[in-house]
Amino acid sequence: MATEIVGGAAVAPPTSVSGGRAARLRQLAPFLPAGLILVGLFFVPLALMLVFSFWSTDENLDVVPVWSLENYANFFDNPTYVRTLAKTMIMGAGVTLACLVGAFAVAYFLARYVSRRWARLALLVIIVPFWTSYLLRVYSWQAILGEHGALNEVLMALGLISEPSRLFVYNDVGTFIVLVYVYVPFAALVLYASLDRFDFTQLTAAQDLGARPIQAFRHILLPQIRPGIITACIFVFIPILGEFLTPSMVGGAQGLLIANLLANFFKNALIPEGAAVGFMIAAFVILLLVVFRRYLRVEDVVARA
Amino acid sequence: MTVFDQTYTRRRFLQASGAVGVAVSFGGVTAACNLVGGQGGTFNWMTWGDHYMPDQLKAIEDSDKIFANISELSGNAEGFAKLKEVKGQLDMMSGDALWLRDAYHKEGLIEPFDINELKVASQLYPFARQFDIWTTPEGYLGYPFGWSPISIYYNPKFVDPAPDSWQVLLDPKYKGRVVVENQPEEIVADMGKAAGFDDVYNMTDDQLATVKGYLEKLKPNVLKFAQQATDSVNVMISEEAYLITGNLGNEDRVKDGGGPEIKGFIPKEGTVGWMDAEMTVKEGANKALIRPYLEKANVAEYIAANFIEHGRPLFNEAAYKVLVNQGEQERADRYLYNKSEEVLAATTLKGPGTSTAKSIQLFNEVFGA
Amino acid sequence: MPSRVDPLETMPVSRYAGAVRWSLRLWFGALMVFLYLPIMFMVVFSFDESRTPGLPITGFTLHWYDVLLDNRVLLGAVGNSITVAVVVAILATAIGTMAAFVLVRGGIRYPNATRIAFTLPIMVPGVLIGVSLLIYFARAADLPLSLGTVIAGQLVVTVPFVVLIVASRLQGVDRALEWAAADLGASPRQAIRHIVLPLIAPAILAGALISVTLSIDEFVITWFTVGAQSTLPTYIYTRIKFGVTPEVNAVATIMLVATLLTFGIASLILGRARRLPGRRRGPVRA
Repeated sequence: MATEIVGGAAVAPPTSVSGGRAARLRQLAPFLPAGLILVGLFFVPLALMLVFSFWSTDENLDVVPVWSLENYANFFDNPTYVRTLAKTMIMGAGVTLACLVGAFAVAYFLARYVSRRWARLALLVIIVPFWTSYLLRVYSWQAILGEHGALNEVLMALGLISEPSRLFVYNDVGTFIVLVYVYVPFAALVLYASLDRFDFTQLTAAQDLGARPIQAFRHILLPQIRPGIITACIFVFIPILGEFLTPSMVGGAQGLLIANLLANFFKNALIPEGAAVGFMIAAFVILLLVVFRRYLRVEDVVARA
Repeated sequence: MTVFDQTYTRRRFLQASGAVGVAVSFGGVTAACNLVGGQGGTFNWMTWGDHYMPDQLKAIEDSDKIFANISELSGNAEGFAKLKEVKGQLDMMSGDALWLRDAYHKEGLIEPFDINELKVASQLYPFARQFDIWTTPEGYLGYPFGWSPISIYYNPKFVDPAPDSWQVLLDPKYKGRVVVENQPEEIVADMGKAAGFDDVYNMTDDQLATVKGYLEKLKPNVLKFAQQATDSVNVMISEEAYLITGNLGNEDRVKDGGGPEIKGFIPKEGTVGWMDAEMTVKEGANKALIRPYLEKANVAEYIAANFIEHGRPLFNEAAYKVLVNQGEQERADRYLYNKSEEVLAATTLKGPGTSTAKSIQLFNEVFGA
Repeated sequence: MPSRVDPLETMPVSRYAGAVRWSLRLWFGALMVFLYLPIMFMVVFSFDESRTPGLPITGFTLHWYDVLLDNRVLLGAVGNSITVAVVVAILATAIGTMAAFVLVRGGIRYPNATRIAFTLPIMVPGVLIGVSLLIYFARAADLPLSLGTVIAGQLVVTVPFVVLIVASRLQGVDRALEWAAADLGASPRQAIRHIVLPLIAPAILAGALISVTLSIDEFVITWFTVGAQSTLPTYIYTRIKFGVTPEVNAVATIMLVATLLTFGIASLILGRARRLPGRRRGPVRA
């Protein structure tokens, strides 16, 4: 957010000009732990896995250096992988949209109409259920959404349906509901962090100048919280591509997502085969990010000081 | 970046390290308080949750000061992969059937022993000390614990006539009413049994092609894949499913949960099954504690209590007598406690197989989107 | 601390303002119900007599809470989970915030590429990360597995969240404020402490909360990187053969109540402290 400063500190005050490499190292020092984690605990192990993905498993469940492209070829030969990946992306997009809408309303409410102290407490109260075991909460969802579960009882009591519906769980609907349930708090946290910084009097000012509320919203609020929206999208959509517990528990036999197919390999210690599928998933996501990179550039909106 | 940010972040780093130090020492203190570690010592055991009971562990800690540091085992393949990597960090490992011989022993990870050296082994059924698959020139591969074939359970209210074969799972009448466990290689093996094959963990490509047809017929019938036994039991209680596969003992679990009367059977084409044992890890630092532990833990009283708790048969013969004395004979007989030799002889035992990779590919192909 | 609700805002600016506000309140309430419904069931199941947590409720009992106290394996797992979560939260927040500063304020030659690099751990399925770390620790680094390696593994997926959240917020902080403060005589430290820190505090807090949330129920990476220990998720998810008993529901209920109580009390104490007269704190809302 650029402010017009007349006179005064429009330019950074002169800093001590210290020499070359020592100064640069000191500049970079705070970044080092994160950099080390990224390189040493992520890139290097994954490079190892990349090599493994071109090898094979022998009968002793050992990974042997027999180079072949077979694991990757399987990904394309067997149409199921691409189809499941596509299905997962569609599910992910749908869940992201639902989470954004749901979480935005909540984050907006908390940022604008609630004092900061209570807003923070509310966010904590929203997050706390996620500190209990996910498995137990999904068992509860099965009890709620199941054929003889709470939801059906309520709907029948209200007279909306005459017999229990099996529509809500053990299919894609169930997966969708539970995935939204799991990711809405993340989206709410991220959106709140972004909305909190926004000065809502700008909207009032815009309306004073004659804008309709929707216009003020669209032209003033949305652009300024775009980085937050983008972050929320990334935090919801991308992890969904790795979700296998939810689909396996409430997705039913027809609801497997791509990470389930991946997990099936690793559960049987078939590392090269699993690694190949895993890298293909990552490759598709990188492809997506490259294609949509223009929308992801967060500095566009914020003038660099 | 200017000097502003540097000092600030350095200070934060120091503050953070201080906080970390406090947290870690706190964690260390609480962890140390948890450990008993008296004269006996601690050994590391990776096992399934039904191989021990809290009061049993406590009694052994109090009497012999032997502390079993337990970490969870979910499946044979994952456990094997883990042990291959961590080796000496574990002292005792549990495993099923052919995994002992064809994986752990083949890889040289475990130490065979003379089972008759253990006094408590005399409580076992004699044949349990002489299984072919666990006998090697160097000794016996593991101390036998429990076993179960995979059975099919059905709700007689909805499943008619009473089934006796794997085919019932494929009957279109039961669309969306079957629940199987979320173990792809097992599902493929089960369908291999349905197709009449014997060695279902080492199937040929032709056999797998046949099994594919069975899997495709199974797919519309499956309501969900049960992540745990609890899942299967719950769907039978709520009557969302009419048919499930699982270990022995599900009738009682469903009844206990407030569900209907269900019946179980072993399919006539044959089934797969498991029998597990405790193995000694060759490089384990504390493996000397294993024998004293086994001597204390595997006595008839504890095994009988374990049977009551988990409802599946075990290899301890003396425990059967204890159960009879406790008035549990009906239940023990229902679970074929005394019949382990005959049941297991007719069962294909779980183990690593040559067709696992192809089975998983097949499963993904059929059950993917 | 100025009250959050500006008098300007209570002035009706449009016909719909009231309706909007009420529907937002309703939506918030509905969301809370949605979030806590399964929790309520989970708590109820902990009192269920039957061994299998689920409907129907066959009877009411405190038995599971009773046996829970003797189950040292389960309690040890809970202790490990909490320890790991706290350490991960502190480390991830510290490391991530520092990295965010460098990322946003210069010092990195290719900031865009680095930002994308930080998105990658979120993008790779956790199973793959877990397996890669197991192989790496065991074969390449020759490190014994322990809770330490679990913490390291969880940092891989939590630090990116913190970096991205804090960077996103830090991006929007107007440097001119700090320079103005410098002009007025503030040292760099004071400027950071009183201007930047309060401005990005919500993002840091959000990062910490996300780290705890990701860590405390983390199963996949933990399973591969843990040594001869267990955490609560590994205890629960591995009960494949015979399932869980309501003991785990009891543990979860206790943890939930303890956490809510802690936050409630902490919030009361902080609230009281804030109302004490003293130097006016808080950022200038820019």
